[in-house]
Amino acid sequence: MKTSKFLLGFFTLTILLVGCAADDTADVIINQEGGNPTNPTTPDSNEIGGTLSEDLTLTTGTEYKLTSALIVPEGFTLNIEPGAVIRATTGADVYVAVMQGGKIMAEGTSTNPIVFTSDSATPNPGDWGGLIVLGKAPINSVTGGDATSTSEIGGLPYGGSAADDNSGILKYLRIEYSGGAADASSENNGFSFYGVGNGTTIEYIQAFEGKDDGVEFFGGTVNASFVSVIGAQDDSIDWTEGFTGTLTNVYVEHRQAHDKGIEGDGFNTDIGNNSDPLFWSAPTINNITINGNGSSNENEAIRLRAGTRALFTNVLLSGFAEGFDLDSDGADSPTGQGVLDGDTGVTNISFDDVTVNLKNDTGDTFGEAEFFTGIGNGTGADYSSWNGGWTRN
Amino acid sequence: MRKLLIGLLLLATAQITAQETGSIVGKLTDTDFNNDPLAFANILIEGTTKGTTSDFDGLYEIANLDPGTYTVVYSFLGYETITKADVVVEAGKSTTVDVGLSAAAGVELEEFVGTGTTKKESEAALLLDQKNATIVKESIGAQELSFKGISDAAAAVNKISGVSKQEGGGNVYVRGLGDRYLNTTYNGLPVPSNNIEKKNIDLNLFSSDVIQNVGVSKTHAANFYGDFAAGNVDITAKEHTGDFFLDVDLGTTVNTNAVGTDFVKSEGTGYFGFYNRYRNNPYAVLLSHGVDAISSEGNTGVSGSFASGKSWNIGDASRLSVFATASFGNSFEFREGPAVDYTTVEKKRFPNSEQYEYGRNTTAMANIVYRINDKHKVKYNSLFINDATDEVSYFGTKGLGSNRDAILDTDRGFYQSNVQFSQDMIFVNQLLGTSTLSEKLKLDWGVGYNNVLARQPDRKRISVERYDLELDNDESTNGFFFSNIAYDNQRYFQDIEDSELNARINLSYDISEKLKFNFGYNGRSKQRTFENIRYGYDFIQPNTPVGDVRNLDGVFTQENLGTVFNTVVFNGLDPQNGLGNTNLPGRFENTYEGNLNVHAFYTDAVYKISDKLSFVPGIRLEKFNQDITYDVINLPATDPGARDASEFFILPSLNVKYALNEDQNLRFSFSSTVSNPEFKEVAPFVYEDVTQRIGGNPNLLNDPAFSRIYNVDIKYEWFMKPSELLSVAAFAKAINDPVNLVVANDATGTQRFFRTGDQAQVLGFEFEVRKALITDADEQSVLSTGINATYTYTKQDLKGSNGVFSTTFDRESDQLQGASPLLLNADLSYRPTFGSYKPVANLVFSYFSDRIDALGSGQLGNIIEKAVPTLDFVWKNNINEKMELNASFKNLLNPTIERVREVEGGDVTLSSFKRGLNIGFQFKYKF
Repeated sequence: MKTSKFLLGFFTLTILLVGCAADDTADVIINQEGGNPTNPTTPDSNEIGGTLSEDLTLTTGTEYKLTSALIVPEGFTLNIEPGAVIRATTGADVYVAVMQGGKIMAEGTSTNPIVFTSDSATPNPGDWGGLIVLGKAPINSVTGGDATSTSEIGGLPYGGSAADDNSGILKYLRIEYSGGAADASSENNGFSFYGVGNGTTIEYIQAFEGKDDGVEFFGGTVNASFVSVIGAQDDSIDWTEGFTGTLTNVYVEHRQAHDKGIEGDGFNTDIGNNSDPLFWSAPTINNITINGNGSSNENEAIRLRAGTRALFTNVLLSGFAEGFDLDSDGADSPTGQGVLDGDTGVTNISFDDVTVNLKNDTGDTFGEAEFFTGIGNGTGADYSSWNGGWTRN
Repeated sequence: MRKLLIGLLLLATAQITAQETGSIVGKLTDTDFNNDPLAFANILIEGTTKGTTSDFDGLYEIANLDPGTYTVVYSFLGYETITKADVVVEAGKSTTVDVGLSAAAGVELEEFVGTGTTKKESEAALLLDQKNATIVKESIGAQELSFKGISDAAAAVNKISGVSKQEGGGNVYVRGLGDRYLNTTYNGLPVPSNNIEKKNIDLNLFSSDVIQNVGVSKTHAANFYGDFAAGNVDITAKEHTGDFFLDVDLGTTVNTNAVGTDFVKSEGTGYFGFYNRYRNNPYAVLLSHGVDAISSEGNTGVSGSFASGKSWNIGDASRLSVFATASFGNSFEFREGPAVDYTTVEKKRFPNSEQYEYGRNTTAMANIVYRINDKHKVKYNSLFINDATDEVSYFGTKGLGSNRDAILDTDRGFYQSNVQFSQDMIFVNQLLGTSTLSEKLKLDWGVGYNNVLARQPDRKRISVERYDLELDNDESTNGFFFSNIAYDNQRYFQDIEDSELNARINLSYDISEKLKFNFGYNGRSKQRTFENIRYGYDFIQPNTPVGDVRNLDGVFTQENLGTVFNTVVFNGLDPQNGLGNTNLPGRFENTYEGNLNVHAFYTDAVYKISDKLSFVPGIRLEKFNQDITYDVINLPATDPGARDASEFFILPSLNVKYALNEDQNLRFSFSSTVSNPEFKEVAPFVYEDVTQRIGGNPNLLNDPAFSRIYNVDIKYEWFMKPSELLSVAAFAKAINDPVNLVVANDATGTQRFFRTGDQAQVLGFEFEVRKALITDADEQSVLSTGINATYTYTKQDLKGSNGVFSTTFDRESDQLQGASPLLLNADLSYRPTFGSYKPVANLVFSYFSDRIDALGSGQLGNIIEKAVPTLDFVWKNNINEKMELNASFKNLLNPTIERVREVEGGDVTLSSFKRGLNIGFQFKYKF
């Protein structure tokens, strides 16, 4: 506050003296000793970031330092070779975004995966943003055609009518310590798939110790298989806005801080289901294991709401107060109707240390007998058969 | 002033007829106002009951006088009384006596009603102003403000037809068009807003003590800024021209909701609404001070003010007048009721919430008027306002709150608190002048410099889940801090500074009695800087237990920093060199800087074709430039971070007045105007409230960078008597590319500003009557009433929009946001006389019907602000000439203030509360 401002008025000065509350605010003094405590070792010469104006290839065995948002615009490709390590400096505005029409070709191998991680010597969840892929596949927050929505992070357009849109390949790729807050009420995820089409290949991906969701699908048709999410502090798998892909072989493991194993919404409840013809999120999930922290901790493995449909086959849930919790939020969110129509249900499931198998808050009448088929027959994702070499634990 | 000069032009010659008897005729003029006609002055034949009052044009006639010699007394409220002896009346003849009155000399104090009264304040004089004006303008003066016990400018304009006020805020709607379509000026110069969310200053901030009159112009004229759609509110500062006076008053107000509560406020705010930690780094404030609200200074409002003025004659022609006033008041309001965040689903529900609002308002104004002679006058005016509000809100107080994104239990026990303080300081300094250069040339000018410091320091927000466990009888169970995102528990600091230099100059040139020209310039150069920072409390362990939710200072201590919680900030000081975003101060989260430059030349002609018909064609050439530079979190990396728009507007206007007879006018008006986006609409910064998020959209400055507006008005008015009026009006407007606040298509539910369609249409009818129901022997009204009603039909087409942000609609058209189809204002005024005891009692009613508060996009329904009726009773008692004891009973109906979301199959209530009655007493002493 500058004193000169007070001279502008006539009576300010006296009132200020009378009206001031006592102040006992201590000064903040920052003592920085012994160099930079969290300074990493990545050489600055391999800095990446900014909007690509030509294709970029990150090569095998090289460490890169991501210092700002790396944007892959339409017509350009980000190639990442096996074993490339990308270390992000801290900040929620440090992320990689592949825009509509751009491509990421990231093919690691089981013994030489591609790793995105924090550049900090003492990494923490939320250190940086994460990977964002935006495609042209249908979303139900807009009314068809080429209408687009804007991504929660980065404010980039997504959605369209190309169900077979191809954003590239993600294979044997691990993301660590992502999920920094983008603003005061939204966070980055590990993987954010916005309207990604099923021409895209997603196999063998892991989100490790992220601050928000592990993998989130905002509409789109993309299929993903061999998905591992460990220690996500929010929902491990999240879908909304009319996601209709298939997830096969999914392993979720909660650590100390967590929210749901799966949180599925039929549409974006902030703007409504504006699709015409109307459709809801309706993914298919085959072979999934979700390991919680024990039934004594209040928590749910799978929450389905806002009209989503979902067909599960071969599910193994361990250590939850509730297995499935289904909500309908009103006439526009007919989650229960999906069950009655046979669009939502579970075939072959096992519960281990789960107090309530099914909590039906939809208002529609159905019970475990209608919702589950083959209780006790679920074996889950058989994680150990495909996690070797490329995942972290 | 200009209006009165026009009035002079329109002067009609009185027809005098007298046969057996004679008459005295003449014209009264105001020697303090360039010898303008002086209306409603009293003329009395001494020793008789024969008398009259001068008419709008200052003319008078006392007819049917027997031939003889008379003494005539001329008097006017606050003016000198002049006695003319030896006036000879002859049979069949008229004796002409023209008299000039001045407030300069011989003022008799007993005649004062209120303080510093001048003729411009009386209701009748303002009606005269309205009658003679060549544009549609309605005003309320200090006298009426005083009579009706109106406390501030917001309540004042609410008495004007087609104007309504938003309950619990200073938002004013004119003909259903809200904030962005209005302008507010002070002495004809722009005055800044005190609130980032608004374009117009909160009219509640102008207490009646500083107002000479407040007028609303609903049609455009060339001298108004082109950014005009619904109206221009002009507040004229009070000035004093008479002898020394000093008035002091003290009062108290009780709010029936607040009176029984343990009222709370932010820690660290002073009694007078100041806060002295601005100079400290926010992080130092966070470390040194806790988050809990503390007890406020009682729960009963007090107020006090003084006003004083004095004039000195300097030589024969000059006079120096000084007027100063200062007032302080505080207010307490307690609200309780449900608060809900509902989009297409119920996101958060708090069946019980409590809100404590503690306001403090200090206003100080001083002006010095130097009348050099009867041709030249200069005035310096300085205004300071400090408006401070403590607001403490507790949501989910009974453990019944729910949040669909809660982690532990989505159905119960969600609780949030918000403790905030905002302080707005406004400094206005103006130099104004009028000069009569010659018989034909008159100059009217003003220069102003404004500053606003609007701050919201240290807003604290706490989120808790399973609060129901804290309230149950089991002491072993407790609630937990909700920490989905680090910023669920946060401290927030925001700072806005505006400065503006503005000027106006008007040269009027009288070519003949029939033709007059105005040439003028007005311009403004405004700058805004905005910065904010926010710290989140990131709990290290999940499910950190909470004790008493109103006693958390013991949790957020320096000792617990790094062990129980970490602080996080968006932008670390220097992350590359180890100064990251955790447990350290940070850099600003969002900043922006905006510049607005408007310069315009205009000319208009007042062309009086006949006694009855006058035309005022005008044209305005306006250069508009706005730029904004921003550094805001979570924007596309591809955004340039700045926008710039320049436009050149040619804005024609035409006002036509046809006098059907001396008392009745027919008016027609056409104008083309524009609407420009505000800084807050353009800056993509997002303000996060507890239940909503609002951000700007820089694409509003893309092509087109403005809305083109066409306005047509037709009005009939009949001035039945002084203080009596009947008027009927119709108006139509077309607003191209209108801007609305709607939810953008993103995953966060943020509302942003979009050009949501090609055109909005507004069509409306106004009706107004002011009538004396009972008058006494002196033709003074004892019981009078005023009623005005406005019906407005609005329709805008809707289309989706793509850009940095996008939105869609599920319907083709809707009503305009903020437009109530029906507005109604009425008052009943009782002013009896019992000897020297002259009490005034007023009953004032206002009503607006349901209106759209926020337009729904996508599948969302509109948010509706439900209809509110308001009834106030004000009673003024003069005990004797020096003392007044006044009482007011406001919000007698105590209606439910409700906002709902329109949802198929029934509305969902978002908030609902009652404000309680405000009962006030005031003692006033005139020295």
